[in-house]
Order: sequence, then C-alpha cells, then structure tokens
Amino acid sequence: MDIDDILREVDPTFHTIPQEKRDLQELTRAWTAERSAPELLPWPTSGLFERINDSIKHQIEKVEEMTGDMDPKTNFALIVIQTELERYRYLVRSYLRARIAKIDRHTLHYLSTDDLRARLSEMELAYATRHQALLHNHYLSSFLSSFPAGLQNLNDAAGGISMIETPDLDAAVFIRLLKDTFVTARGVDEDDAANMRESDIIILRWSDAKPLVEAGSAELV
Amino acid sequence: MALPLPPGLTHPEVAFLAEMELVTVVPRQRLEPIDLLGGKTPPLRPPHRTDLPLWLALLLKKQRRANILPPPWLHPASLADIIHRETKVTPEAFSEPPPAPARADVSQPGRARRQGVDQEGDDGGIIMSAPFRPACTADAPAGYLPYHWQEVAEALLAHAGDDVTAGTAGATVSSAGEVRGLIRDLVEVRAAKMRSSTAQLEGFGAGLMSLRGVGAMELAESRGFVLGVVDGVRRIGASVEGARREAEEEREGEESDEDMGI
Amino acid sequence: MPMYGDLGNKLVQHAKRTQNLAHLPSYQTELVRAVAREVRDLDKDVASLLEPFQGSFDPSAEQATACTLLVNHLSMRRNKRCLLAYHRTRTDKLEELVWSGSDVLDLAGQQTGGGNGGPVADSGGSSSLSPQEEDYFRQYGDLLAAYKGQWTDIDLTGSLEPPRDLFIDVRVLKDAGEIQTEYGAINLTKNSQFYVRQGDVERLIAQGYLQKLG
Repeated sequence: MDIDDILREVDPTFHTIPQEKRDLQELTRAWTAERSAPELLPWPTSGLFERINDSIKHQIEKVEEMTGDMDPKTNFALIVIQTELERYRYLVRSYLRARIAKIDRHTLHYLSTDDLRARLSEMELAYATRHQALLHNHYLSSFLSSFPAGLQNLNDAAGGISMIETPDLDAAVFIRLLKDTFVTARGVDEDDAANMRESDIIILRWSDAKPLVEAGSAELV
Repeated sequence: MALPLPPGLTHPEVAFLAEMELVTVVPRQRLEPIDLLGGKTPPLRPPHRTDLPLWLALLLKKQRRANILPPPWLHPASLADIIHRETKVTPEAFSEPPPAPARADVSQPGRARRQGVDQEGDDGGIIMSAPFRPACTADAPAGYLPYHWQEVAEALLAHAGDDVTAGTAGATVSSAGEVRGLIRDLVEVRAAKMRSSTAQLEGFGAGLMSLRGVGAMELAESRGFVLGVVDGVRRIGASVEGARREAEEEREGEESDEDMGI
Repeated sequence: MPMYGDLGNKLVQHAKRTQNLAHLPSYQTELVRAVAREVRDLDKDVASLLEPFQGSFDPSAEQATACTLLVNHLSMRRNKRCLLAYHRTRTDKLEELVWSGSDVLDLAGQQTGGGNGGPVADSGGSSSLSPQEEDYFRQYGDLLAAYKGQWTDIDLTGSLEPPRDLFIDVRVLKDAGEIQTEYGAINLTKNSQFYVRQGDVERLIAQGYLQKLG
C-alpha cells in the first residue's frame, strides 16, 4: 500500500498535491478563465482569494524582516521571494481588474437577479451597488431629473427592448478538456455532439462550453 | 476602464504563464529551501537534479547558480521528428500533445492511472493542467510538443542557450543555431496549419471545431481573428439558425404527437 | 426646423469622437439641454394629443394619432438613449483617468494647455468637465479608493503588464558614491557590477551612472 493512501485513510484532508500548489493552479485557472469568458464568472467560494491574500500579507511581512540583512545567502532568498511575490500580486490584480471591468460594463445586469448578484464577492457587490448609484445620480443631476417621471428609470424595457445591456453569452471561446467528455455544441447549419478526448482544445460557443467548465470537465484557455 | 485589454490572454500574459512550467536544473551551488507562496523549494545540492518553475530556474541561471537541462522534446532529433510528422504523417493536424503523465496505481499493480482522469478525491478534486502538469522537465517524453512549447523554447534559447546546446543526457552536442532553425521551421509549419483551419472557419456552420495539439502562443496569436470569424458566422447566420431550430422543434412536436397516438 | 432626433445624433457623434481621444473634450452643455428639452416637448405633445380622448383612446379607430404617438414615444426613448450614451462615454473616460491616478487638478491643467492648473472650479468655466462630472470624478475616486483599500497588499492600480526582470544586473559606468537600497548601502565604484532591484536604480540608469546588462 502506498504511504499516501494510508495517510488519506487516516486523514481525509490529506492530499497528494499540497494546498499551495492546488491554490496556484486554481488561481491561474481562475485568472485565465476570467480573462477569456465573455461574462463574469462566480467568485470562488472556496476561500481561495482570502487565503492567497493572507499569504501575500505574510510574505510581505517576511520581506520586511529580511530586508537589511546583508548576508549574501539571505540576499538571494530575498530576491527569489520578491520575484515570486510580484508574480502573485500581478495575478490577483489582473484577475480583480478583469472582474471589475466586466461588472462596470454591465452593472445593472449583474445587479438584476439574486443568481447574478451571487457571482460577486461581498466587496464587489458593495462596489457595483455604489457605482450604479453614482451613475444614476450623475444622470439625474445632468439631465434625467428634467425628464417626465415615466422616463426617469434606467431599467425600462418599453417596446420590448431592454435598456439593460447584457454580455454576449454565445461568443466563441477556446476550451481544453480536462477529461474525456461528451460535448454538444450548437452551430448555424447543424448542431454537433461528439465524444472528445482529454487535452482536446475546442472552439465553441461559451453558452455550450459553460456547463463543461462548471462541471470541471474543461477549462478556458 | 479597469482593464484596457482584449478578452483572452495576450502574448506577455501567455509568456508569464509559461514561466510556471517545471524544468530540471543541475545546481552549481548549494541553496537552502526557500519558503515561497507556491510551497517550499527543494534544497539544491550539486550535482543533484531538481525540478523548479522556469522563472526560478532562469533566475538561478542568470546568477550562474545552476544549469538547466533542456526537455527531451527540444533536442534536434526530437524536433526533426516532430517536423516530419507535422508535414508528412498528419499534414492537416497538429501533432499529438504529450500523453497525460502516467502514475503507478499501487492498489492495482501493473496498472497505471492517467493523472487527472479518474482520481477525484486524491487531490481534492482538482485536475492539474498546463503549466502545472510537468511537460518540460528532463523526464518529459521526446517527440511531443507541450502546450507552452514555443514560450519555453524561446526562453531557454534566450537565457540558457549554452545549456540547450549541451544537449540532453547522452545526446550529441548540437548548435544553438540548429535548434533555433528547427524551432523556426516548426513555427512556420504550424502557422500554415492555423491559417488553413481559419480558412475552414469561413464556412463553419457546425458547432464544434478541435485544434488538438495547438500551443498557447499559437492560440494567442490567432485568437482575435479566429473567434471574430466564428462570431461573425454566427451573427450572419442567426436567422437561418433560428428558422432551423423552429423547424426542428415543430418536427419533434409532431413526432411526440404521433407517439401519443393522436 | 430641424427634425426631431438630429440633436440626439449630434450627441452620439460627440460620444463616438470622445472614445478615440486621449483627453476629454468640453462638455456640450447647450446640446444636452436642447435634447432634454426636446424630450419634454415631445411629452407635452403626447399629453395634448391624448387630452381630447380623456383616457379612452382607441388606436384602431384613430390610426393617424396612434402613429404620431408611436413616433413621439420612439423619439423620446431615442433621445434618452443618446443622452445616456453621451454621458456614459464621458464617465468611462473619467473612470479611466481615476484608475490611472489622475486627479481633478490634472484635468484642469490639461484644459488650460498644461499651465499651472488650479482647481477646475476656479478656472472660469474653461473646464472640459461639467460641474456634475467634477462631482462624479471625485465620488468615483472615493469609491475606487475604498475598494482598493480592501486589497492593500495587491496594489490594485499597479501595472497590468506581467512582471519581468524585477532584478537586473548593472555595471557602474561612473563613480556614483553610495546609494541606499532596501538591502542597505551599496558603493557604486566604476566598473563594479551589481544585481539590484530595477526600481531602485532606474534613475541612475537614466542619468548614465549605470548600465543595464543582458
């Protein structure tokens, strides 16, 4: 019996892949996905970003402690630590800003239903709500308040055309399959369905890719 | 605007991602473990090989603290073999990506499980993929281009050219020019394939298209164009598709009526 | 007499142009007022058209009136969309400036040809921002600061380029004496070589004291 198997039996939280490595995979995957998907993806509920933010904080403190130590060995370790730290900070920054850009672009849409609101982190929800209020106030004070009462809303849908803009969920994306999977996809002339293989890279509509990504069978690339 | 970038990873972002690929180094100096966010680094003890992320390996290389062992697929013989397959064996497809790393399954001796395929639970359900699935270490198989092949090859040639020409263990010494030339040929052969698959896209009425074996840089290069064409075909064909769907629904409705004996 | 909708079109054209400009052109106060007035006029027209029917309007019996009403409704909605698009394009620009770290003073300076600036409110109406936009600019700045404050260790407004070469090799080209880095003091004597944080020595490189290697 493998020593890992024994450990797993004794401690169900034991994983062969250490937490830090899994977190980095998850962070990188979340970043790539958010940079590629046409709509805002759910904020991870696994505590991933809270965990990473804490580690970054600790690491910054460590850098401050080590700084000033002129021992060449410490010096090189410090270079390595700071280089890695910059990489993590960049990933989190780019991820957060990709999300804010999407939220800004379709704020009313993401605030319109409970399901959509649930995709935002608590801070993002506060940001989006306040941002929308600022915009509405700005429109009101610039011109909207002089309008007839019936035209002062921002979410009216008279004439069947909603004024709330929404992301294009049928936009094409690239995904990579993480396991052998049965894939169905809609097309203009015909719809496709096929058994596809692990490592296949496929072009299809995001609306068809989404269930696969959510199930963990595929990732955006 | 919070993010003035187009959707999908850009060139520099893809190169950044590729720097997380594990490569094999041969330390020239001792180095104690360092507590990194991604986990503690292994102690470096010359001349014992260790796998490290590329960004760290390059840092050690620049400081002459280690040499990098190029992955076997970067060897001239391997590159020539891949070019042969890309041009002669499967001229219309990209060559196969590396097989998912096999891992001995101890509970079933003699059987290997493909990592990431049926082992949920072992790793908290997470399936590792590029750049975290080792494909650029000295143990990687020859003859297969991993997802980040182009970025890793370019980084190694630029910053560890002498290591690349030193060759993999037991292989003959080659010249950096030879490897560079082969890489250039490979880039060209595959770019032509990308162009011909985008030409197919113009008449793309179906829902699925596979680019198995394509690399990250190649995707980044053609992303805007390819996805733009697919989206364009969809928009132009929206009414055709809508009519087709309606007709199909009607037909299905009739069939279910018949099933019920009406 | 211009057609209803002409003014709205003008606003949208302004918005379109603004999108491609590096700076923010002057706020079209008069045009905005005129388009909003048009909406109110159209609304009055609708009210007076409907007035004789006292709530019992039958579109199929009064097709000509029904048609006018529809056109008026569409025109009002169109004007509203134009106004929203115009203002949204400008707030997008303002937000971009907030993200890049500008403040209202910079905007005023830009407007007066890069002179000594001075608060927008004092520049005698030469500001390219409406007073409402100045308020919005400040409020959005506060909002962003609050959000950023939740991620202090990330530096949310930092670079969006992937980090490269945080540390670099430099050679000293001319004696520069002692400089302080976060590792302590380094003595920069000619022809010596150091591995340093790029951010610490960028000025010395620009001044020709150091040369970046490889």
